[in-house]
Amino acid sequence: MAGLSASDLMLLAAVLVPLVLALAAIKPFVRRRVDVLLLVAPLPGLLAAVAVPLGQSVLVVPSPFRLTFALDLPGAVLLGGAALLWLAAGAYAVCYLRSDPARGAFSVWWLLTLAGSFAVFLVADVASFYLAYALVSFSAFGLATHDDTVAARRAGRVYLALTVFGEALLIAAFVMLAASVTEPNPLIRDAVAGLPASPWRGAILALLLVGFGMKMGLFPLHVWMPLAHAVAPVPGSAVLSGIVVKAGLIGLIRFLPAGTPWFDWGAGLLAAGLFTAFYGVAIGLTQRHPKRVLAYSTVSQMGVVAAVLGVGLKTGDATVPVLAAFYGFNHMLLKGAMFLTVGVAAACPRRRLVPVLVVAAVLGLSLAGLPFTGGALAKFAVKEPVGDGLAGLLLALSAVGTTVLMARYVLLLADVGAGATATGGSVAPGLRVPWAVLSAAAVGLPFALFTAVTGTSLALLFSLDTLIKGLWPVALGLGVAALIYQKPPKFVEVPAGDILVAAAPLARLYQHVRDGAVLLDTLLRRWSTAALALVLLALVLGYVMAGVAFPPHSAP
Amino acid sequence: MSGAVLFASADALLVVAVILPLFAVPVLFLAPSRIAERATVVVLGLSLLVALAIAGGVGRSGAAAASFIGGWRPPLGVGLRADGFSAFMLVMTAAVLLATGLFAMTTPGRSRAGGERMPPAFWMLLASVFSALNLVFLAEDLFTLYVALELLTFAAVPLVCLEGKLAQVEAALRYLLFALFGSLLYLLGVVVIYGLYGTLDIILVAREATASPGFVLALALMTAGMMAKAALFPLHLWLPPAHSGAPPAASALLSAVVIKAPIFLLVRFWLDLAPSTLAVAVAPMLAGLGAAAIVVCSLVALAQPRLKLLIAYSTAAQIGYLFLMFPLAAASSPWSALAWTGGALHLASHAFSKAAMFMAAGLIAEALGHDRIAGLSGVGRVVPVSLFAFGLGGLSLMGLPPAGGFVAKVMLLSAAVHLGAWWIAAVILLGGLLAGGYVLKVVVLALQRPAEPLVAQPVAHWREWVALALALVAVGFGFVPLEPSHFLFIGRPASWAGMVP
Repeated sequence: MAGLSASDLMLLAAVLVPLVLALAAIKPFVRRRVDVLLLVAPLPGLLAAVAVPLGQSVLVVPSPFRLTFALDLPGAVLLGGAALLWLAAGAYAVCYLRSDPARGAFSVWWLLTLAGSFAVFLVADVASFYLAYALVSFSAFGLATHDDTVAARRAGRVYLALTVFGEALLIAAFVMLAASVTEPNPLIRDAVAGLPASPWRGAILALLLVGFGMKMGLFPLHVWMPLAHAVAPVPGSAVLSGIVVKAGLIGLIRFLPAGTPWFDWGAGLLAAGLFTAFYGVAIGLTQRHPKRVLAYSTVSQMGVVAAVLGVGLKTGDATVPVLAAFYGFNHMLLKGAMFLTVGVAAACPRRRLVPVLVVAAVLGLSLAGLPFTGGALAKFAVKEPVGDGLAGLLLALSAVGTTVLMARYVLLLADVGAGATATGGSVAPGLRVPWAVLSAAAVGLPFALFTAVTGTSLALLFSLDTLIKGLWPVALGLGVAALIYQKPPKFVEVPAGDILVAAAPLARLYQHVRDGAVLLDTLLRRWSTAALALVLLALVLGYVMAGVAFPPHSAP
Repeated sequence: MSGAVLFASADALLVVAVILPLFAVPVLFLAPSRIAERATVVVLGLSLLVALAIAGGVGRSGAAAASFIGGWRPPLGVGLRADGFSAFMLVMTAAVLLATGLFAMTTPGRSRAGGERMPPAFWMLLASVFSALNLVFLAEDLFTLYVALELLTFAAVPLVCLEGKLAQVEAALRYLLFALFGSLLYLLGVVVIYGLYGTLDIILVAREATASPGFVLALALMTAGMMAKAALFPLHLWLPPAHSGAPPAASALLSAVVIKAPIFLLVRFWLDLAPSTLAVAVAPMLAGLGAAAIVVCSLVALAQPRLKLLIAYSTAAQIGYLFLMFPLAAASSPWSALAWTGGALHLASHAFSKAAMFMAAGLIAEALGHDRIAGLSGVGRVVPVSLFAFGLGGLSLMGLPPAGGFVAKVMLLSAAVHLGAWWIAAVILLGGLLAGGYVLKVVVLALQRPAEPLVAQPVAHWREWVALALALVAVGFGFVPLEPSHFLFIGRPASWAGMVP
């Protein structure tokens, strides 16, 4: 451990500081200082993302443990975005939860989720990644269920069930992946390098895609997302939808083999992603609460990212992961800001609502890729590898869908604001300031990162061709939205979690299996059965052994 | 192998390990109960030191420690022998028993909150169980093992019915009778072996043994007997009532270590004694029963209305993992060593986590006055440390990092994948899911806000911290490297040629 450089220390501090704070929060006098906890925790992560040179790697514990931290470009982009959102949402939460008696417990879950989310972007070895992934996944449960309502409890159960299932899939994938390497705990890079030659590559890829796809909310594994993201307290929703889902994204970025074309799997991921992109919009449009609209929008956006990664897998284009991370960064800040907007609108006196709605509209249009916003840069970056074919067209059409969905969001937000009972002059500065700063960062920051990530000049964005390509989906989307507004079709609100109703037979099946097991157990625990079983076991054991020891003479 | 200088070598300490716990018994008869309790805990602590010294000696010398009573070597005399695996079991047992003693003793400085002190009988039984377990882990002779198993049964059964309630007595009788069936089968097998080879020393028998009809018969009888004592599905009828009905300290001890003694012997029989052709043939059957245990008992655990019953069924399920290990460990492949290490690690982390969970459940029941799962809503506010201990123990059962259960699961999974035993890998994963179900069900309820304010009795913090310490040890096993352990292989079959006179 001797000879740690300042960069090494910064990488370590990003994860350790929030963990130490979480541990310190055992003491009530620490737990009472929610403001300090939530504001200090993300700072080391932010510092690491900005100040640590790319390619820096530190072996924290040597082989056979091989706990390794490393910073690469996708990791740094996502880490920086996450740190910013944690900071803004944390500041917001301090004010939002001011009078909540359980805010101490909330901040412990917050710190644990934060530490886990930073760790997934930073660790470079397989076992630590699994640990970090489990940490961020399970701690997020505490954020989602904080309000402890009936809906929150149900969302929590669904989330936990799928999380445990996802963990099982991933550990199976990781064990098979690590089988090609002799190290007990290989670096992710080394393990993935052996994937193309693995005899189980199909199974590994399938497990990885389903496991990480679940976290990203790919259809049909998205069911937990609208439930969990809608029931959490506003700052909790912001980080769940903004950051926690990115654990799935970084998982795919790290574990899919970059640079090797896998046509079938890539095409499959592309199709699943595009379908999810449209599905999220379609179901989202029927929703009547802005938070659920936003949750479905996250489903849709993660579908877009998955589609982009699918293209990368299909063609073996090694630049795609960085671009996907950039898209994730953009979504992270925008979605975080949009969730905070819901809370601001609810606390806003009616006469001051218009500026809030304008900000919401700008954020929404940026997400849809309106030229001159940060979102346009993200769309532009991912359009390059996807190309102009059918996939490109569908991607552009998904931006149309996003525009319509965002229009719906703004209208619902107006209803929330109009229904709010807020009195007094204005929104509390504790909510307003972090929200405003985050919104500005969300629209502006992609400009600062664009060249570093894509290696192309910003000037390219302002060519007429690019502007038109960016503008028509938004314009078309606004047109559609206006038509719908003029003559609203009778949307039936699809219950959040949509196809979860289809899981009812599964639940019944589980009940039957469990009841069957209980019945069998009751039968076996009778004296007569157990004594018989004991004698039978002895006989069968003898028979099995005799079969090997004295094989029957076979005819010559 | 000179044991001439007492306390000079690990060899001499083997006898001490068996006898030392019994030193507590006269004190318990003579001294006032509070002093006697303390004295017993001190003896337990000293026993842990002895176990550590043995393990240290075995580790340093790289060879098994051995001691021959009266200096007579087998086949005339009776030998005690500690290889790496035995030493590992000794240390694990001593640590869990010391924690049990600390949990059960009257809280220092004040009278025990919410309950009366444990009767002197508990402490005597504790010391006897300890001595018997150490003898099981060390004895090299099949008849000495029989004696040790009987001593273990007769010391463990009364622990179940210490409070003398009718249900407890019923459970204890059930346990006693079935354990006696098991002993009977084992003894029959031993008789057959003595008739065949004229010796009962495991090493000597292993050298002579061929797959003769008599030996096959003996192995079948002994194995079935041990399965009954290990409560392997479908022979688990006695386990849930016995382990859930006993006082928490006794449940912890029974579920954590007592149940491991017959499993330890099965490992001895199948990996040390039986010819490998037979082991390879029988291993899938053992694993099949283990798989059935994992699936059926986990499902039944999910349906339990009471917390202690849930944990007891979880034990019945978790021992299934130790049987899943057999086909992987018996295959002659480099991956067998990893499977075998994973199995041993699973055994140890289960011991610590299960002891922690039973203690936590006992404290929860003490605080609330009941252990109905439906009524646990919000109990996390009342006994947060206990709930944390329960959760950490559960983390290990679920096989999630950084707990010991995770490393064990990864080792077993890796071996299963490499050896192409896909069904074993699938069962391991399914078992993790089901464990997640029954652990999280409790934790989630406990974290909720209670519908009405809970009325709770105070519990001793001391005891909550003991439970947490055990759970933390289970988590600590998560930091062993993911590779075969050299220590566990010290003195194993390949190298024991030099041990025979």
